[in-house]
Amino acid sequence: MSSLSRRDWLLSDQPASRRQARLGQAYRTWLSFRSNWLAMVGLAIVLALILVALFADVIAPYDPVLGGDLRTERFLPLFSEGHIFGTDDLARDIFSRIVHGSRLTLMVVVLVAVIATPIGLLVGTTSGYFGGWVDTVLMRLTDIFLAFPRLILALAFVAALGPGIENAIIAIAITSWPPYARLARAETLTIRDSDYINAARLQGASSARILWGHVTPLCLSSVVIRVTLDMAGIILTAAGLGFLGLGAQPPQPEWGAMIAAGRRFLIDQWWVATVPGIAIFIVSLGFNLLGDGLRDVLDPKARK
Amino acid sequence: MGEVMITVDGLEVTFRRGGDTVRAVRGVSFEVMRGESFGIVGESGSGKSTVLRAFCGLAPTSAGSVAMGGQGLQTPRSAAFFRQVQMVFQDPYASLHPRHTVDKVLSEPLAIHGFDRREERIEQALAEVGLGAGFRFRYPHQLSGGQRQRVAIARALILEPQVLLLDEPTSALDASIQAEVLNLLDRLRAERGLTYLMVSHDLAVVSHMCERLIVMQHGRAVEELSRAALAAHRAETDYTRKLLAASEGYSPAPG
Amino acid sequence: MSPLLTVEDLRVTFPTRQGPSEVVRGVSFTLGRERLGIVGESGSGKSQTGRAILGLTPPPGRATAKILDFDGIDLRAARPATWRSLRGARMSMVMQDPKFSLNPVMTVGRQIVEAVKFGATGTRAEARDRALAMLEAVQIRDPERVFRAYPHELSGGMGQRAMIAMMLVTEPDLLIADEPTSALDVTVQVEVLRILDRLVAERGMGLIFISHDLRLVSSFCDRVLVMYAGRVVEELKASELKQAQHSYTRGLMNCLPQIEGGQRPLPTLERDAAWAK
Repeated sequence: MSSLSRRDWLLSDQPASRRQARLGQAYRTWLSFRSNWLAMVGLAIVLALILVALFADVIAPYDPVLGGDLRTERFLPLFSEGHIFGTDDLARDIFSRIVHGSRLTLMVVVLVAVIATPIGLLVGTTSGYFGGWVDTVLMRLTDIFLAFPRLILALAFVAALGPGIENAIIAIAITSWPPYARLARAETLTIRDSDYINAARLQGASSARILWGHVTPLCLSSVVIRVTLDMAGIILTAAGLGFLGLGAQPPQPEWGAMIAAGRRFLIDQWWVATVPGIAIFIVSLGFNLLGDGLRDVLDPKARK
Repeated sequence: MGEVMITVDGLEVTFRRGGDTVRAVRGVSFEVMRGESFGIVGESGSGKSTVLRAFCGLAPTSAGSVAMGGQGLQTPRSAAFFRQVQMVFQDPYASLHPRHTVDKVLSEPLAIHGFDRREERIEQALAEVGLGAGFRFRYPHQLSGGQRQRVAIARALILEPQVLLLDEPTSALDASIQAEVLNLLDRLRAERGLTYLMVSHDLAVVSHMCERLIVMQHGRAVEELSRAALAAHRAETDYTRKLLAASEGYSPAPG
Repeated sequence: MSPLLTVEDLRVTFPTRQGPSEVVRGVSFTLGRERLGIVGESGSGKSQTGRAILGLTPPPGRATAKILDFDGIDLRAARPATWRSLRGARMSMVMQDPKFSLNPVMTVGRQIVEAVKFGATGTRAEARDRALAMLEAVQIRDPERVFRAYPHELSGGMGQRAMIAMMLVTEPDLLIADEPTSALDVTVQVEVLRILDRLVAERGMGLIFISHDLRLVSSFCDRVLVMYAGRVVEELKASELKQAQHSYTRGLMNCLPQIEGGQRPLPTLERDAAWAK
């Protein structure tokens, strides 16, 4: 009974407060998101990643860095007693390393999103809103960054800054904002001359207020969708850097570095490299499904 | 007559798109008195909306001058100008931000200009345009076209301006809703002593709302008429006569 | 003479989260070789009525009827092949905005020639001649230029005329025009209507003219159906519109401002819940 009335409160056509209006809007978005089961699978994977990362110390049965007995516990196969994913060449429990590796993956994802999204939004909306020479300068700068393949540019940055997971994140963030800037600029161009922006100008709103309060909220959803869809690529780039030895450094349990370490034993002890590979695959898939679902509910162009 | 509120003198607006130059307005002059309602009639591409946009600074003025109460206007327009002059746009589906509630739409101008008693003013503005408090926290997609246009009118009036620029305020609305919005605009003008500058393609709407009007074609004002002259079909130019005939509906015989 | 089109109890339903919603609720009429106007405000179901007759109800909507008969053909049971032989060739539709109905990457001429080829046999040169003749018939002064032009190179009025030419080149028996002139200026509007008028008179075409503009419909059509909330509330001769009985029709007429000056404030329409019943 009470859950029914809460639903009515959320879906009310006449919200009585700012909070109710906002929550009602969010609830409607959630309802349409929920009806897409693939998107729900994606959301479940991403939530699982976050939970595993948060409770890694509780979940992981062994230390991710310290190995067991090198004489008896090296290369234990899958589903061994006490080591569900087996052990690697240093007798470390692969399951524990995967669990702790999720923290690194999540850190990469969050930091790149936190760094690249605002830069892209700021550059794109400013460039699109002001036009003229501002646009020319900012877009040529964006073009320069776009002209390099991401991994190569990231490699150059890491080579200059020195290897390590932090530098890898900075390198990836710096190389991933240009597409968001382009996207935000394109969106801004379509809304720049709309009547609701003109109405804001006629109220004497400053450019900063229009950019922040009117333009950015409309660009945000498409950029967020794009970032989510790109997450798979970002995870792969981070793993690629790790694989090349320029990202996370041993003995950090980074998934890409784990694949790199396991490839030497791929023929006889295939699980050492395969399990982190599957982990990367599942998380990438999760972000892609989530991004697709978000696009279905958030993208104003896809809606009628 | 009273004092002159709006002066437009020899206004020209030229847009440059790529290599082309488009002369949207080619020398238009008129004066609007305080408390008067003045109409600009024309077909698409006649430059009628551009005159409005040039007056409030949304379109560039390439020659001529515009003035408010005898004072020339500088570009960009000052904050004081926007407190005096507000605009209602043609398409109520495009003039409200899709992610802003009615409350946000109305509170933003108050915040920009530092008004006090905001809650009270928002409630009063909604009541004046005939929307109850139940509309305050709705999003535009929860409103009908007529309700949206009422919100747009409330937004324009909340700064208590003296001049309202109306750019085809009812052309996107159904006939019955149009009547309601026109009545609302009429009542607000009488109550607040507003000055209207209204653009429309519909002679009947302009005749109903405005005491005087100009007819524009290809960026020029071809004729100025009073409401009485229009009602008596005393048009002097062929173009105005053609518009008058067309607004009567369909007539099988050409001419 | 038997009627060209008979519609009885036409219903169009769209599923929504709150259950199915009926936007056309039992519309019946017959059409001879005449100009029939359908008037209503937005949401009255007038456009969906026009689309349903052509079998163009957008999914997931569904259209049903007791009778939907076009010149002896039962349209309810029509197969895709039947529709292909009817649409374009014998029944056509003109939409409000030519921008959305003309293919932007094909010249106008080619699109009209394609339409000719759907309808009849003949050589390419014959098709071209007919297309040019049709463009001339819709009062385009320089048909050769328009023939070679792409839709974006034409003004709104020109585009709408080209669209009408394309729809009429096959000499259909029935034309459904959905707000064909609403996007046009009043002076152009009159010219486009004259073209339609002449085609009805000369070719004996049946025309369904859908519009929100009561004044225009009453001056242009022979008969008018007034729709409200998915139903026909009144059917009357266009010349007798001034003597309309239904309070909705009268309300719609009265709330229009008059050039000659009228009531102030304008009478508004008091909606009666009984109209929708």
